[in-house]
Amino acid sequence: MIRVNKVRAGYGDGPDILQGIDLTASGGEIVTILGPNGCGKSTLLKCIAGFVRPRGGAVEMEGRDVSAVPVHEKVKNHRMGFVPQTDNVFSTLTVADNILLGARHLPVAERNERYAELMAQYPSLASKQERKASALSGGERQILSLARALISNPKVLLLDEPSAGLSPLMMHEVFAAIAEIRDRTGMCIVMVEQNAFEALGVADRAYVLSLGKVAIEGRAADLLADPAMRHLYLGGEPPAAEGKPRFAAV
Amino acid sequence: MVQFVVDVLIRAVDLALIAIGLSSVYSLIRFPNVALVQYATTGALLALGLQMAGLPLVVAAIAACALVGIIAVVLNVVVFERLLRAGSAIAMVGSLALSMVFSAIFLVTAGPRPKRFELEINPPLRFLGARLTEHQLISVGISALAIGVFALILFRTDLGRCMRATATNSVLASATGIDTRKVTNTVVFLSGVMAALGGIGLSVKGEMSAQLGLDMLLPVFAAAILGGLGNALGAAVGAVVIAAAETMVTNVNFGPLFGESVLFIPAAYATAASFLLLVVVLLIKPYGLFVSEVKRV
Repeated sequence: MIRVNKVRAGYGDGPDILQGIDLTASGGEIVTILGPNGCGKSTLLKCIAGFVRPRGGAVEMEGRDVSAVPVHEKVKNHRMGFVPQTDNVFSTLTVADNILLGARHLPVAERNERYAELMAQYPSLASKQERKASALSGGERQILSLARALISNPKVLLLDEPSAGLSPLMMHEVFAAIAEIRDRTGMCIVMVEQNAFEALGVADRAYVLSLGKVAIEGRAADLLADPAMRHLYLGGEPPAAEGKPRFAAV
Repeated sequence: MVQFVVDVLIRAVDLALIAIGLSSVYSLIRFPNVALVQYATTGALLALGLQMAGLPLVVAAIAACALVGIIAVVLNVVVFERLLRAGSAIAMVGSLALSMVFSAIFLVTAGPRPKRFELEINPPLRFLGARLTEHQLISVGISALAIGVFALILFRTDLGRCMRATATNSVLASATGIDTRKVTNTVVFLSGVMAALGGIGLSVKGEMSAQLGLDMLLPVFAAAILGGLGNALGAAVGAVVIAAAETMVTNVNFGPLFGESVLFIPAAYATAASFLLLVVVLLIKPYGLFVSEVKRV
């Protein structure tokens, strides 16, 4: 579904933030991208989405090179949904307008059908359809941003730190909603996260970045269980002497 | 009193058209385009030229508005998009420089002497004791209609929702499938059309000169800032307030207040009065009367 092939990218005249990244993500799986601040997680997601154009390498969606395709075209023509980390709702528009904006390119009947489905799926939004998005809580905004991205029935969903700024309870609800979307739709979900433990709890596979390169990749469950990984990237206790990595270091 | 209201309306609608254009573009590309006031002069001069070439004034005005809209888009793509990469301050200075270039072109092509449209001269109409000419009535009606149409587009159409979404958060708008560049250029086109219509309206009611745009610069900016820069319809209210201040200075007889039969403030103080009002309002409400969508984010 998504294939990132030796991508290099940066901003302006600055150095490469991504230094030859390889990544794949398929339908029906959640792939999470982890790593310390400044390692290039969000830049990689922006590169896949089309906000940042790669300086080298390629981003492919369903076998087609989409490195130079702008974001709005990917949303319309490649059925991609994107949820930014902050400012992820149009605060001056109503909840209904926020969601319906994501379905402008769909036929009216399909748009109305999808809207009704989402209202049934997320009752907390259904009762606030005519309210301004600025009146919603942090968790409700995150659900609203998910609903906006989902209304066009995307094949690929990109999430930039969906748990940012949420309480532990809301974070749990948002991750549960993301896992439910994968299970119900078979969507390909790529998610950048700071809360590594929680992200690995719902993800199928993970990439851990360090200084713009993939340092570790593997099954989420393996990474979560590995003491070295916990120590190096997840802030856990140092590994015991006999502990050996069970993941593929790159 | 009725005459005062009529005079305020006559002045306000043209100011409002240009100020709405300025504020709308600001909400999307985050810099106040000084050259916008020169689009008003361009519209008036083009309409005059087309009328002199034999077109009826209505047709000439429509063609001039469309041409100015196209010129605005071309300048946005060729000049301002590039300048904005260096920052909004650079883009604003660039728009000031472009404004001076416009002035020079107007002087060379149209000359320094004021000009008028060829219009029939009719006796003024009477409305509740107030006087206004047929041309003023038509001009005010067309301008008010244009403002109404713009408000409908903004709040009742898909384009309007895209404009408000892009103004609120352009990154999210892109991620929602909105072609933000296309939306911006559509708004730039509309702002050019409205500025041209404002310039034509002003010229129909009086005369036009190469100086028309620069004369409008300060009142238009005052109206846009007063209404909350970036808030299009706030700019329309700001225009009414500025027009009321200017009209009060120039039209109201202050004699009875000072025991004189007649005492008018010189017209040269009109701009000073509107700016005094602007300063007072901004001291109380620093972001203008209506906080813009841009500021609310």
